Amino acid sequence: MIVFDKVTKKFPLGNTALNDVSFEIDDNRFVFLVGQSGAGKTSILKMITQEIKPTSGSIIVDDFDVTDKNFSQKIDLRRKIGIIFQDFKVLSDKNVFENIAVSLKVIGADQSEIKAEVKRTLELVGLSKKEMVFPVQLSAGELQRVAIARAVIGDRNIILADEPTGNLDPKTAWDIMKIFKKLEGKRTIIVATHNTDIVNSFQKRVLVLKEGKIIKDQRKGGYEL
Amino acid sequence: MKEIWTSIRRTPYQSLSAFLILFFTLFLSLMLFVSLTFLNSILSYLETKPQVTVYFQTKTPETQIFKVRDELMNSGKVLSLKYISKNEAFNIYKQLNKDNPLLLEMVSADILPPSLEIYAKKPIFLPEIAEYLKKQGDIDEVQYEKNIIDKLLILTNTIRKTALIFFSYLIIMSILVLITMILFKIALKESEITLLRLIGATNFYIRKPYVMESLFLGITASILSFGIFALSVLYFNPFLQSYLKGITTLSVDVFNYQLVIWPLNYIFFTIVFISTLIFGAIIASAASYIATNKYLKV
Repeated sequence: MIVFDKVTKKFPLGNTALNDVSFEIDDNRFVFLVGQSGAGKTSILKMITQEIKPTSGSIIVDDFDVTDKNFSQKIDLRRKIGIIFQDFKVLSDKNVFENIAVSLKVIGADQSEIKAEVKRTLELVGLSKKEMVFPVQLSAGELQRVAIARAVIGDRNIILADEPTGNLDPKTAWDIMKIFKKLEGKRTIIVATHNTDIVNSFQKRVLVLKEGKIIKDQRKGGYEL
Repeated sequence: MKEIWTSIRRTPYQSLSAFLILFFTLFLSLMLFVSLTFLNSILSYLETKPQVTVYFQTKTPETQIFKVRDELMNSGKVLSLKYISKNEAFNIYKQLNKDNPLLLEMVSADILPPSLEIYAKKPIFLPEIAEYLKKQGDIDEVQYEKNIIDKLLILTNTIRKTALIFFSYLIIMSILVLITMILFKIALKESEITLLRLIGATNFYIRKPYVMESLFLGITASILSFGIFALSVLYFNPFLQSYLKGITTLSVDVFNYQLVIWPLNYIFFTIVFISTLIFGAIIASAASYIATNKYLKV
């Protein structure tokens, strides 16, 4: 479960990224975060991963009170979260297998477990035949599949996707979203996006942000600003 | 090992400059360390030699010599004394000139003076002992080596202080160069490190490849600098043998153990090698630790 309670984030130069934001997301739910650039979507994702801390308010992520002054389990928290970026952040000097395996390596998984899990995840994202290929040989859609595989492998039960289709053509974007569809109900998925068609067709919960505030929280909504 | 090699291949110039600076630091440190050890051992050696030798006139009766000897022993300033009689002096002379019959024929025990070899408890007592002896009758000559020991002490202290400054400079320089080199490498991989942090990698996991590569460079530089040092010592061994002719053994006190450094022996070489390895590893790990710190705050 993810709980934001009256969360405000002000940066030192005075601009406010989030202003008194509150919401709850139950386990294994699919939520879209929509809003114009600078509305606060990425700030919410970064607060969940502890990249930035709120100025005030409290945040609970998967039973971790990340705003507690004595919170010291940042690494444990991050091992439960998979992140997907608009620019993929695929490691150029590692092949597909190694890029996905890194998610398990950092938690100290053994080699046989890594091999089996990567194989299973490659099938999920449709890259079974490309495990030894390097990123330079992959298309944008395939790179995003690698990033998704890296995010969902293992026990990562919260998936955060920041504009996952932002760099993709419409057809590839739909292919990518189909992978999210496969994960629906099994993980908590939060997708920050501008893609109107995708939000409208999924008919999932939509949190609409404007100037750092949640202006709409639609249980089965579409893209409205 | 494969990852280390790949990283070196990807940034060959940075790796080479890091290696050369490490090699330079380690080689010079090694030379300074060994030179200081030799100087200290020569100092210790000279301190074991008779510090004051007093030659009596040939006609001086032994009772008079023994009287001086006893007074010196009771002064509290003398560690030990050795009496060399005329006959003993002649035996020493014969031994020294056994290959020169002409010299042997010319000298008899009667013309050689009896002497006392005196070892002072502290070098500061040497002038007092010499002064006391000069005031005694029947004294032919008083010799003492205070000046040599003093000069060597000054030389050793000067070299030690200079070496300390030079060591500090070398260490700071090599750590800074290594930090710069590692920071450059990390800058190329900044997004990878950020990603690793976000997916839950520990600081150790992120640091490991940089520390391992630095350790590899540090250890390789240590081995090469020791190898070149060892070859140089072997090359100059004949020169050292002729220069240190007459000195049978040189040693330094290491935790109450007399470590022999001359003639060259493998224990000393092993200790020097291990020290160089440890020194190289410490410099390399410290630099990589400091450099990676900057990027672990995500």
